[in-house]
Amino acid sequence: MLKTFKKLFFDPQIQRKRQFLKSLALFRDLSDRDLGLLSQALHSRVYHSGEALFQEGDIGRALFILESGKVDLLKGDARIFQVKPGDFFGEMALLEQLPRTASAVAAERSQLFLLYRSKLDSLLHYHPRIGVVIMSHLAQLLSARLRRVSAAGVSEHAAARDA
Amino acid sequence: MPERKRIPLVWGLAALAAAALAFYHLYHVLIPFLLSFALAYVLSPVIGLFEARGLRRQVVVVALYLGAAAAAGLLANTAANLALGQLQEFKSQGPRYEAKTEAFVESLRVGLNARLPFGLRLRRPAVEDVQSSLMSQAQNLPGLVLGVFPVLSLLFLVPFITFFLLADGQASIDALIQRCPSRYVEQALHLVSEIDASLGNYVRGLVFVAAAIFLASFVGLVILGVDQALGIAAVAGISSFIPYAGAVLGAVVGGLAAGFQFGTLAAGLKVVALFVLIRIGDEILLQPFVARHSVKLHPLLFLLALMVGGDLFGFVGLLFAIPVLCILKALTRVLLAWYASEAAGPAAPEIADAAAVPFV
Repeated sequence: MLKTFKKLFFDPQIQRKRQFLKSLALFRDLSDRDLGLLSQALHSRVYHSGEALFQEGDIGRALFILESGKVDLLKGDARIFQVKPGDFFGEMALLEQLPRTASAVAAERSQLFLLYRSKLDSLLHYHPRIGVVIMSHLAQLLSARLRRVSAAGVSEHAAARDA
Repeated sequence: MPERKRIPLVWGLAALAAAALAFYHLYHVLIPFLLSFALAYVLSPVIGLFEARGLRRQVVVVALYLGAAAAAGLLANTAANLALGQLQEFKSQGPRYEAKTEAFVESLRVGLNARLPFGLRLRRPAVEDVQSSLMSQAQNLPGLVLGVFPVLSLLFLVPFITFFLLADGQASIDALIQRCPSRYVEQALHLVSEIDASLGNYVRGLVFVAAAIFLASFVGLVILGVDQALGIAAVAGISSFIPYAGAVLGAVVGGLAAGFQFGTLAAGLKVVALFVLIRIGDEILLQPFVARHSVKLHPLLFLLALMVGGDLFGFVGLLFAIPVLCILKALTRVLLAWYASEAAGPAAPEIADAAAVPFV
């Protein structure tokens, strides 16, 4: 009885989307309701194999979240990373509108969610809790990247000195 | 990696011009769709609140429609009873109202005659004149009744179209994004977000202002003892969807009603003063709140848009002049931002200077 009621009134697609978003580090601490509101701010698009999401030098305006498929990040013609389902990229566009530092091309048919910057601004304005959680995770991610780059720089410097 | 071609700007502008021309010729057909879009814009955040809790969008929309139907039925029943009561009252008080109206018109005539220069005098209207005027108006009655049909068809069409727009939700925008060439997806999202931000907030602000004007007018008219307070307040509230029209129509209709009811000019002027106060209150208290959440437009641009809209499309033009202005402003902003970033190159954020300090 309860199962039929739930099936009739609750949308399994929304539930699936919420579960997927909850699995991402960026949206980890959000409640189910917050994730529901966040999912309304996301746009969904399918990219076919070989279709370019953006090119190096394009002005970044959105964060991309890969739900299914594979996306190659390219520097020139060389692949620098392959994005797998559950990964997100292009998050710098949420902070500043600067040229993309790499190109992104769908390696196979891929389903992506796009979070546009002004949608995040709107979340920050109307649902500050959601915006603050996302921004806090973004700051942690950037800090971790900075430390990784710094550590790599120190070890490169040490290797050069030893040589 | 495949090289992507840019669509020349001239094609975009040509498409825009063709769309504007088509709209100019077909706008009569598009009226129900425009009204439905506006209604869907107002209602979609309410649907979104329930959808965020995991409920099916279609279920929420159906529940909303059932609730609205029940409320409309209740309202229609109350309004019918009220109208019937007022008709009966008018029937019994008819001769008294007639005498009062005659006295009111006569006092106006005498007052004006005393002030008119160069020996000009207003003639007392003969009963026969009024009767012949009424008879000539009665001949237009069938045309007036037929004129109501398009309005009635809107009453059915608008909720019907709105239902589908609400049930579809973001799916239609996602379908548009899906068909957009991948290179322009981010720009398309930029445009959609800008239009949504300015237009959505403007429309919601407008509903808020209309409700506030309705409430303030109703309370004020009840305090002044005007009989048709509810009807006049409804006229003022609904007409406030056209900027500046709410208070003006409320003052005219309310002033005339009060003048006829009390048979004095002072009563009419009191109602006019009430609507002047409401207009000032709207300007001081409500507009800053609404403007803060919507597009900021110069008052002269507002007026120009209303005049152009009214001249080109009549009443519909007046209703949609400002929303169209919002869309044009969003479009201009996006194009300028696009040009600034693509042609002039991106600007480094101000905080970049702080990056010179080593992180520890």
